[in-house]
Amino acid sequence: MTGHVKLATYLGISLIACFTGAHAQQQVVGAPPEASNMKLVGANDLQARSAYQPTIHHQGDRWIAYVGHHGGTDDIPAPVNPQTGKAEPNGTSIVDVTDPAQPKYLRHIPGQEGKYEAGGAQMVRICDGKALPKGDRNAVYMLRTFGGEAHEIWNVADPANPVLITRLGGLKDTHKSWWECETGIAFLVSGAPDWRTRRMTQVYDLSDPAHPVKIRDFGLPGQEPGSTGAVPTELHGPISTGPEGNRIYFGYGTNKGGFLQIVDRDKLINGPKEPTPENLHVPEISRLAMSAFNGAHTVFPMKAMPIAEFAHDKDGKARDIVMIVDEAILNECNEPRQMVWFADVTVENRPMMISSFTVPEASGSFCERGGRFGSHSSNESMAPVFYKKMAFIAFFNAGVRALDIRDPYHPVEVGYFIPSITAATDKRCVTIDGKDRCRVAIQTNNVETDERGYIYIVDRANTGLHILELTGPAHAVAGLP
Amino acid sequence: MRSSLTAFVVAICMVTGIAGFQHARSDIEGWREIAWPFPRDGWPAGRAFRCATELCGDEIEVYVRPKAGFCNCDSGVRDDEEVDRVADLDLMSERFAPLAPGGAIRIAELPGRLRTYDLKMSDGSRRAAIGIAVSRGCDLLVAVAQGRGEAAEVQRVALEFLATDAVTKWMISALDGR
Repeated sequence: MTGHVKLATYLGISLIACFTGAHAQQQVVGAPPEASNMKLVGANDLQARSAYQPTIHHQGDRWIAYVGHHGGTDDIPAPVNPQTGKAEPNGTSIVDVTDPAQPKYLRHIPGQEGKYEAGGAQMVRICDGKALPKGDRNAVYMLRTFGGEAHEIWNVADPANPVLITRLGGLKDTHKSWWECETGIAFLVSGAPDWRTRRMTQVYDLSDPAHPVKIRDFGLPGQEPGSTGAVPTELHGPISTGPEGNRIYFGYGTNKGGFLQIVDRDKLINGPKEPTPENLHVPEISRLAMSAFNGAHTVFPMKAMPIAEFAHDKDGKARDIVMIVDEAILNECNEPRQMVWFADVTVENRPMMISSFTVPEASGSFCERGGRFGSHSSNESMAPVFYKKMAFIAFFNAGVRALDIRDPYHPVEVGYFIPSITAATDKRCVTIDGKDRCRVAIQTNNVETDERGYIYIVDRANTGLHILELTGPAHAVAGLP
Repeated sequence: MRSSLTAFVVAICMVTGIAGFQHARSDIEGWREIAWPFPRDGWPAGRAFRCATELCGDEIEVYVRPKAGFCNCDSGVRDDEEVDRVADLDLMSERFAPLAPGGAIRIAELPGRLRTYDLKMSDGSRRAAIGIAVSRGCDLLVAVAQGRGEAAEVQRVALEFLATDAVTKWMISALDGR
């Protein structure tokens, strides 16, 4: 071959490789899911509503999935609820998953009007009345957000016929709150109108859901009313270890400038409450600043994890670990990679990142599939079936990833599941030369597990709920029968 | 073959050289583009300009860049606190205080807000600053200007500069990812 012929051949091969590489991984309707050591058990389309947080509750002899939704889309701001025949702004889906192979859609509670993050009812937590100190023993309470303007508590004892109990309104935003069922104390991610940030914490005593008692407002110094200067990164969500653990782990940030903040729960609840910079410092034990490239969507504590490698060490055999999950925001990799980090917080005032995990991009050409690629959230259930053994990470167009975290210094992926797209899956666009170029891909947004070992994933791009189980080696990691 | 490749490489170098030259100068009278003076943070660097002639009254610097990817895609820049948070004032100094409530503004036909500030620099000196944030969908375009003169004068000069065709075109193309 002459030089020119060689060059033309190489160019031709490269062009073909680029073309097929970019398109071979595009999802198409009708294609099977992609999976490794995870299997689909059942699914529900959730009325083609964009889904955020699922919470699975063992309610009597039933298992009920409560799924929060983002707002509607430009094309369909308020999908029609087939049960009522009416267009309803996205809110909360309630699904009976007692038989995970045949989930039954029970009820949709409409949320705030508005598209995408401007509407819906993203967040949901459940407490039994008999667990709350002053609750109605016959009630089951659902705490949810109402778009950005309110928190609501519903009695869902009859999940097909929920009843509104309480509403805490007048907010400029809300997000992923935490509710301790054994005490009733709630850490509500709110936007108090006079604070300088969209999202901070309002601590409430919701032990009697019909009569909420405000305890205090909390945030990072610089966010409080009347302060000046730089404003620290806004809150994403807390997770409390309750009065026994006496710690609350707060995650700040989404895809930028994140913090893990470790807080003394008792000092937060019982300390000085006026939101002065000094008082806001009092409950803080330490703060782990992340890179400006990453935020902290979920901060999931796993205390006293035995580390096999350290088993013969005289000290430090067990470590307190916090798994930190960033949230990818931009489509098609137009930002630094958002991923999963593990922090060793055993020495609380010197927390340190020890490991990380991301899905290899090349394993699925994920930057070219469309939509977001990167992490978003993890399961938050602390049920023994998976706690401190496995973690499940929602990774947008890379589906859900199952990690063996028994050695958090070396997390290992042991399975994954990327659902098929359907006719309902919504497009995701990027701007190229001033014009939108859109693709359709799964956008696994959130994940939760139940005590039985089922994994529930929901899709941000309207593909619904998928209920999964582990198979093969992943099944063995969890020690499932 | 080798000569063809060499010519290709030379052509590429010439094109990028020209582009670099165009990027480094400003055709706007009195203004000169300077290197982005801040360390890397969560967003890619933007463009920085300095006016040090009598046309601007006193030395004024303007820093402008797109920030892609915010969650509040429909509400735009809705209050002064959002300007405090996003407008890059903290790159110059973490100690700034608003001089007055902000107001609505349009830059490059995009809606947003502007607010004036008193900046306390690390050497103890004070500057007047304006912070601007405008939005398009989920993306922001932010600009800050600072100078030793009065805030009103810094604002007037900076807004005139940002309204010039060349800067407006660049801001829109930057938001488009070009």
